[in-house]
Order: sequence, then structure tokens, then C-alpha cells
Amino acid sequence: MKVGKVIGNITLSHADSGFRGGRFIVVAPQGAKELSGKNPDGYSDAWTLVAYDNLGAGAGDDILYVEGAEAMQPFDYRTPLDAISVALIDTFRYEPPKSGA
Amino acid sequence: MILARIDGHVVTSIGHPSLKAQKIVLCTPINEHGADAGAPFAALDPIGAGQHTRVFITTDGSWTQNTLHDVTSPIRNQVLGLVDAR
Repeated sequence: MKVGKVIGNITLSHADSGFRGGRFIVVAPQGAKELSGKNPDGYSDAWTLVAYDNLGAGAGDDILYVEGAEAMQPFDYRTPLDAISVALIDTFRYEPPKSGA
Repeated sequence: MILARIDGHVVTSIGHPSLKAQKIVLCTPINEHGADAGAPFAALDPIGAGQHTRVFITTDGSWTQNTLHDVTSPIRNQVLGLVDAR
């Protein structure tokens, strides 16, 4: 699981039928700088990714997403997914120690 | 398995049903000297690790499906233990 910020969504006209019920969101992964509030707009240097979402995440929301084969685990049939949103974040706290560990 | 330091937590109310009543922590991977070694990530914390403690974390989704008793859970990361000494 990683923290990401939703920065957009993707609409498909033709898609694998297994994707019905959800949609695709564009996610900016949040690194230490973004989580500490040192980069308020939340656009990180990391690769932007596309994730499947059936929770209703909207632009600007912070989410938890999972990458990897486990992303298709919620489905009872095989789907070609490797990133999925798993939770909408209400609040989080991120405070690394000030001088290393 | 990843060596990491607990740096915070996440509060969530809407999510995959397998996350219900689970504590979720934010961790930073660390190297053998305790220095940061990568981007922060989230993990389930069934053992209640405190802030800034060192832990080791599994990224095995099938193990987490076992402990959550839910084969539909997409969750991978879970705190397995606290590091006393290395």
C-alpha cells in the first residue's frame, strides 16, 4: 500500500467487461516530501500511475493504493489490473524523526 | 521482507471491507544503519508498533489474506515484528 493523490480520471469508451462498476483514476504517488507538507500541491517527481477505483475517489483526494498482482484479488474472475485504490484517507499523520532514527 | 521505521498513521473510513478495524501505519524503509532508504508506504499493524519504532514488514499478499481471513483482500504490507537489535 502506498499513499497517492488523485489528480484526474480516465474515461474509456471500450473496455474489458470486467471493469464495469469502477473507473480509472490518475494517481500521483506521495513521497516523504509530499506527506510532510513540503510540497503542498502534491505533484511528486515519481511516475504518475493509473489505478482502478470503485470507492468513488475524486480529484484532490488522498488514497491508499496497492500495486502488483494482489490488485486483482477483490475480483472473482481474472482481470488485467495491477493497481487499485483500497481506501480513501480521512486524515493521516507523517512525522519522521528530525535527525535520522 | 522490509526493515522500516514507523513514521505515522492513516485514518480511513471508506475502503476495502478487509481493512475494517485495522490499524494502518505509514513507514519509511531504512537501511542497516537506520537511515532512510526509500519512499514511505503504508502497512497494516496488527501488533501495535509505536511511533519511530523499527519494524520488519512482509509484502506477501497471500499471507495478509490469511491473517485477515479474506481471500479478496488486495492488501500486501503487514508489520510482522518489532526490531530490538540488529
